[in-house]
Formats: sequence, C-alpha cells, structure tokens
Amino acid sequence: MQRSNIYILVFSAVMTVLIGGAMSLTSVLLKPAQDKQVELDTKKKILGAVMDISTFDKPEEILNLYKARVKSVVVDIEGEIIATDDKGNPLIAEKVNAQKNHKIDREERLYPIYMILNELDPNVVEAYVFPMFGLGLWDWISGYVALESDLNTVKGVAFDHKGETPGLGARITEEKVRNRYKENKKIFSDAGNLESITMVKGEGITGLSMHEVDGLSGATITAKGVNKMLKEYLGCYQSFILNTRGLNGIAIN
Amino acid sequence: MEVFNIALRGIFIDNMIFAYYLGMCSFLAVSKKVETAFGLGLAVVFVLTLTVPVNWLLQEYVLKEGALTWIDGSFESIDLTFLQFIMFIAVIASMVQLVEMIIEKLSPALYGSLGIFLPLIAVNCAILGSSLFMVQKDYNIIEATSYGFGSGFGFFLAIIALAAIREKLKYSMVPSGLKGLGITMLITGLMGLAFKAFIGIAI
Amino acid sequence: MSAEATVVEKELKVEKKSAEPFLSKRRKNIVTDPLSDDNPITIQVLGICSALAVTVKLEPTLVMSIAVVFVIVFANLIISLMRNLIPGRIRIIVQLAVVATLVTLVSEFLKAYSYDMYKVLGAYVGLIITNCIVMGRLEAFAMANKPYDSILDGLGSGFGYAWIILTVAFFRELLGSGSIFDFKIFEAIGWATFPTNGLMVDSIGAFVVLGILIWIQRSKSGYVEH
Repeated sequence: MQRSNIYILVFSAVMTVLIGGAMSLTSVLLKPAQDKQVELDTKKKILGAVMDISTFDKPEEILNLYKARVKSVVVDIEGEIIATDDKGNPLIAEKVNAQKNHKIDREERLYPIYMILNELDPNVVEAYVFPMFGLGLWDWISGYVALESDLNTVKGVAFDHKGETPGLGARITEEKVRNRYKENKKIFSDAGNLESITMVKGEGITGLSMHEVDGLSGATITAKGVNKMLKEYLGCYQSFILNTRGLNGIAIN
Repeated sequence: MEVFNIALRGIFIDNMIFAYYLGMCSFLAVSKKVETAFGLGLAVVFVLTLTVPVNWLLQEYVLKEGALTWIDGSFESIDLTFLQFIMFIAVIASMVQLVEMIIEKLSPALYGSLGIFLPLIAVNCAILGSSLFMVQKDYNIIEATSYGFGSGFGFFLAIIALAAIREKLKYSMVPSGLKGLGITMLITGLMGLAFKAFIGIAI
Repeated sequence: MSAEATVVEKELKVEKKSAEPFLSKRRKNIVTDPLSDDNPITIQVLGICSALAVTVKLEPTLVMSIAVVFVIVFANLIISLMRNLIPGRIRIIVQLAVVATLVTLVSEFLKAYSYDMYKVLGAYVGLIITNCIVMGRLEAFAMANKPYDSILDGLGSGFGYAWIILTVAFFRELLGSGSIFDFKIFEAIGWATFPTNGLMVDSIGAFVVLGILIWIQRSKSGYVEH
C-alpha cells in the first residue's frame, strides 16, 4: 500500500509525539525512585566497608544510619578541604563520580572522605572510608577502604567491579576475600613509610606480612589491579592521612 | 599510545563476538562463505567507525545530564539519558541506510550477495553495543573512534576466520543434529579459547 | 488517534464474525511451535547475542527473560494494532522506535525498582532493541496478523527464548559457580570441594553449552540444516 508523503510525515510526527511523551512521562515519574536507588547504592557501599549491613531489610534504615553516623568531606591532593566547585556550588562527597574523577590528573582530582562517627559521641571518628578507583582485567574496579581511627590499621574494605570474571576476579566482592584485609593489616611500615596493602600471587599462602593479604588463584590481573588502585589512591590520600593523624580521631568540620 | 591500546583491546581482548557475544546473528548467518563474510565485515567496520563517534557527540552534547549547557547555562539540570536508546538506534539506522546506498552504487555484486543482511546491520547488536559500552567506558572522542574501529575490526577478523573454517567444514562428517548452527557454536567456543591468549596484550 | 480506534473496532467485529474458539488448535500452535519445533534460538538462529551474555548466573537470566517476553509481547501487540496505519516505507524505523521505547521503559523501571539487577545487566537491557527475535517477529508476524494472535505469538517466541537461555544459565551456574540462584548447592550436599569449571563462567562455556543444547534439541526434533 503506497501512502502519500504527507501521510508519512504526519504519521512520523504523531509517533514522535506519542513515543517522546511516553518516555518523558516515565522518566519524570521514576526519577525520584531512581535517584533514591543510586543514593542508597553508594551509601550501602560506604557503610559496607566498615560494618555488616546485610541485616537491614528496609532502605530507610540504611539511610537513617548513614545520616546519623557518616560525615563526609572532599579534600584535594594536599589534604585541604574543598568546600565548593568551580561554579561556587557546594561540593557533595557522595556525588563525586569516581570514574570521571579518575581520568583527571591526580593533582587535580577531588578526594571524598567519609568519616564514620562513634555511635554515642558524634565528635569521635571511629573509622575513615576512602573511595578509590582503578582498572581490573576487563573493566573498571572500585573500592572503599576503611581505616581505623589510627589511620593505619585497615578496618575493612568493599570492592565493586564492572565485569571481572565471575568465580575468578569477581571474587573480590566476596566476604571471604574482603575479610582477608581485616586481619590487622597496616598501610604504614613501622618506620612510617606508606607501604599500602598487596595481594600476593597465588592462594593459600601463609606467613604473610602485615602489608600482604592472600591472593586470588586464577585472577592475577584483577589482584594486580586492586594492588595498583590501593597503592595509587592511598598515596593520594597520604597528605590528608598525615595531617589528620595528630587529631586522634576528633571529627574535623 | 592509549588510543592504539584501546583499538587493540577492542580487536583481540574485548572482541565483540568472543567476549561479549554481540553481533552473533549476522556472525552465524553470513559466515558460510569468506567472500560475503568479508563484505559484511567491512560494512560493520565502516558503520562502527562512523556511528560510535557520532553517538559520542550526541551523548556528550545532547543526552547526558547537564549536556545542554552549551546552549544556555540554565539547562544544567536537564537529563535526557532516557532518550539514549532511541537516539542511538536512530543514528545507527540512518548510517546503515547510508552505507547501503554507497555499496549499491559502488558494488552491485556485493550488494546482491549481502542481500537482507545489510539492513540487518541496523539491528546488529555489535553496533548498538559498542555505542552503549563507549558511554560506560567514558572515552573522549578520539578514544571513542578508536574503540569503534577496534570493535569493528575485531568482528571483521572473527567472521572471516569463522567463514574460512566453515568452508572447510563442508567436507567433514558432522553428526546430523550438530550440522550448521550446533557445530558452528562449538567452533566459535574454540576460537574464543584461542583468542584468550591475547589477554594482557598492549603496546 | 480516532483512526486507530476505528481500526481496532473493525478488528473486534471481524473477530466476532470468525467466532474462532478462544484457544483454537491453530492458536495453541502459535504458542507451542516456538517452544520446540520452531524455536527462535536453536532452529531459527535468532537472538543469540543476549542469549549468551547474561547467562553466567540464573538470576540475571531470569530478569532478562522476563524483560524480553514483556518487550516482545507488547511490541507485537502495538505493531499489530497499528499494522494498517504504518506506511510501508518507514515501517522498520517505526518498529525500531516502538521496541526502543518499550526497552527504555524496562530499563527505567529496573533502575528505579531493582538497581542491583540494573547494574548487573548493564548495557544488555538496551541490547534487547537489537535482539533479532523481537524485530523478526514484528516483521514476520505482527505486521500481518490480528492483535490477539500477535500476543500469543509474542508469548510463544518469548518463552521459547526464555527456556533456552535459562537452561544454558542453569548449566553454566551449576558447573561454573557450583550454585543455583546463588544457592551453593554442592556445599549444601556436603561436597564442598566440588571443582568449579572456569571455562563455564567464561564466554566459551556459553558457546559450548548452547552448541550441545542445539545438538540435543535438533536430534530430538529431527531438524537437519543443509
């Protein structure tokens, strides 16, 4: 059936309006729910580095906990707090896009830091959570590394990844692997040099030093990526860590 | 260097077929003869190298949150990401149309042998997939172009290799249930295994 | 809009006149054929891309199947309702637009209500647009058939696709990760040392499992490709 050009034009116009309308409508209607999910996801990961949050069923509980216990700042490479972005809008640590941030020169990057406050005394910081970003075997990996208030001992880690091989590299998100970082590992040597934490090659290795954790068998490149990420970002946070260590866990404003 | 590495990764490691299974439909359907496979492969390289950067521009200056600020600063909060799929597919469809017209003009023989599969490039997952992955990987425009070319070339290599194997396969005794698609899947698996050797390759 | 409404009305009248049983034999066949004898993946060789990409684990595969069934049924319905209105010259782009819209809806809903799945499936939800099964059914069936039949056809093709990828995912998760729906099945039966197969979680495993599945299915149905 051959239709006139006018018909085709009118038909396309009507289709465009209908489809565009339907999509805009859903997008506008679902936007609040989506934003909440993204927010919840970030906050879960930050809290997940320091505590077990799988016991919380309701999203509200996590959001409330976060509100009560977490305080965030953004610092630069020198460890100085940056309050506003170029346009003068206040900087929100949770909104810093780690992937975009990673592409910038390390001197220019924004470094968000999350302080987990004591349950009873909100002026005391129990742990510091440092977000980081790097490359695994296939795609990006990201991490949240939590340090005790001495800013040396690792309290916990949480990793995320885009496409590491399930069962191999993807194991970095498993609790078993994450717990290896909790065995009293330290990022500074006794002499005070930044050593970072290294995942060794091979698995089931014993006699590890306080800067080493057991490796992932079959996922050497992912482990290397994790090591590189930790080393790079802990280096970037070093100024902040050294500046803050003297404060003995008093919350900075 | 980074630009070359992205293309290399696209060709060998993040191969559209072996790592992401994208473009399988045409990969399986047009790989019976090396000649047609060559034509389709070239068309895919061409379309991908064109569409990925075009979609990059679209994403950067129209779709993503705050992308419209180049028109007016007050558009900062506008987020048109929900139009991403439909805009990308529209760009791809028009590009494919363009390629179709060019091939018809330049090589009617190739046009005839590609037949129905030329318009099918529009619904070739590899094309849309590259654009979507390009967004996720946060490339700049040069990297995006390199990525588009790399993924296209990876597809090109894969389909020619498979077609060559299938031409020889005609003389093999294959169990009747495995004939055609079944044995091709198994071969593709083995080829993927071989491609695994390239992991970690970089300049 | 009114034009569309009258067409729908006409359809209904025709439906009444023909007085075909609600689930006649012909209609049952529309649903059951794609499940085995005319399976979109194993026989028609369509929609393989997404069939393999998400099948490492059962859970994302299930979500993907539901999404595909949803998209294919509604795309079939919408195109079938509009089939007399769509100008032939731009029909492909109209079909693509309808599918893209539906996929966008699925993706937006996933992002709003199941963010974890949204992250796992990532770009593959978007790739439903280019799933040849959807476009194939629209072009081959919905453009020429009544809405109700088109829904049945969509259901048939959708489920034909779903059961194949679920089977592939079942074997890949069982052998590759030793679990089913993330439940560590081998540990549960006391075989904690079960050697998981790395090839199964890799893309290669998908090719091999699907290849064998096709072999079994074709041997059973007696279909031989020349």
